[in-house]
Amino acid sequence: MYSKDELFLAISTVIDPEVGFNLVEMGLIYDASCDDEGNAYVKMTLSTKACPMHQMIQQWVKDAIKKMAGIKEVTIDLVWEPEWNITMADEHVKKALGRA
Amino acid sequence: MFSISQDFAPPFKLILPFFILGSIFYVVSVLFLFFITNENIVMLDTKILSFIHIFLLGFVMMIIFGAMAQLVPVVLEVGHFGVELFYAIWPLLFIGSLMMGMGFLAYPTLLPFGGVVVLIAIIIFIAEIFLTIRKVQKMTLVMSSVLIANIFLLAGIIFGLLMALGYAGMIDIDINLLLRSHVFSVIGGYVIITLMGLSVVLLPMFGLSHGFSMKPLKNAIIIMSLSVLFVIASSLSGVAFFEYIGYVLAMIALTIYFFLVKTIYSTRARKEIDIYAKSLIFAYFSMIASLIFGILYLFSSYEPFLLSGAWLMFFGFFGFSITGHMYKIVPFLVWFDKFSPLVGKQRVPMLAEMLPKKSSEAQLVFCGVGVVVIAIAIVLKDDTFIKAGASFLLIGALSFVRSVFYMINYK
Repeated sequence: MYSKDELFLAISTVIDPEVGFNLVEMGLIYDASCDDEGNAYVKMTLSTKACPMHQMIQQWVKDAIKKMAGIKEVTIDLVWEPEWNITMADEHVKKALGRA
Repeated sequence: MFSISQDFAPPFKLILPFFILGSIFYVVSVLFLFFITNENIVMLDTKILSFIHIFLLGFVMMIIFGAMAQLVPVVLEVGHFGVELFYAIWPLLFIGSLMMGMGFLAYPTLLPFGGVVVLIAIIIFIAEIFLTIRKVQKMTLVMSSVLIANIFLLAGIIFGLLMALGYAGMIDIDINLLLRSHVFSVIGGYVIITLMGLSVVLLPMFGLSHGFSMKPLKNAIIIMSLSVLFVIASSLSGVAFFEYIGYVLAMIALTIYFFLVKTIYSTRARKEIDIYAKSLIFAYFSMIASLIFGILYLFSSYEPFLLSGAWLMFFGFFGFSITGHMYKIVPFLVWFDKFSPLVGKQRVPMLAEMLPKKSSEAQLVFCGVGVVVIAIAIVLKDDTFIKAGASFLLIGALSFVRSVFYMINYK
């Protein structure tokens, strides 16, 4: 129903309020797919297991995808392998964060 | 799906009193400094005892306990056993701290009662933490550090209560015998091991650090625990040699910990030096300065070195570690309470926008100068310098209170 890019675009509206970048450009979204019945699947991680916003962030991802027409259900698969690190982020994020 | 916790953010109104009272106690403890001269700066001077208890119970413990309500689920990766118990902790700790402060200053009969009230507050806190730890299925190093720290806290507070009873003349006990056990259990065993454990979660989380070994933390915690046990053994047995082993082990543990923090700092992806980073940098350099003064004392036996080292540890390391983390924890709690329901509906602020730039910087600068000036004043035994440092610290502490209220009231 929706391509991976379209789902990533929807998720890119979700911003981490601590660092100020969206989850896609942070490299936290590993995969996304959607079948013809409108069941979406997102494989994602967080920058740390200790993130106090982890439940909220997952809910925001669900909400962002549910705004897309025809989406019935969103399943989030929160994984810790591969472990996130800064090399997974977009270049402009790395540059912005690395600016002292 | 990997689940971490069911309750990562306790109610804002539950934590708020801890932070408001803690920041006010910080100002009160600074006010004490105007009435302290070099003649007072000895271990069992009543003004010093009052000042230390107001600072450690009213500020350090109050804010650590409040922060733990938020951080325990983050660190232990399970929800609280009974987070509502924290509603009982802050009033008891507030009353107990005041009674102990007043007791040392003017009314010794208040001490055992204040001590019991503080004991109840701390036992509720420890019981909640232990019952929460029971929910943990697989203990990590950081979780173990929380457990060890709280065992030392329990021991420390029992030593303290015995001393309070002795101080008030209710039981016949040698206060000096238990003093080192009390001080080292609470400061080394609880505050330092807690800061060690929490910081290896929080520093990488905010700095986006990855790929560092946790082995130094394990070594630091084991050595620090041994240090506390040696000092307790010395205190109870009277064998002075154990005491010196304890001090040396504490210095080794803190040095290992410092290099771990340095590694975390150098591997961070987020290079921004914000008020949090600046506060922590000052805190860790204060800790190193404190260790240097400790070493100087061991070689020279010049007591002002020891006292100045203790000052730097308390107001430099503990003080700035705590105030620095407040600039991360308070905005998050306020944001969670006020703005998270609005995500996706309207523009919400970033956490960094919720910081008061001027007052937080003022706090950093004035408190930093104050800490350094008083450290020098203690070594030089100069009362005028102490007052000068206290003036800087007062402006800094008031700026801190202003910052806390700014963040709490952010709209």
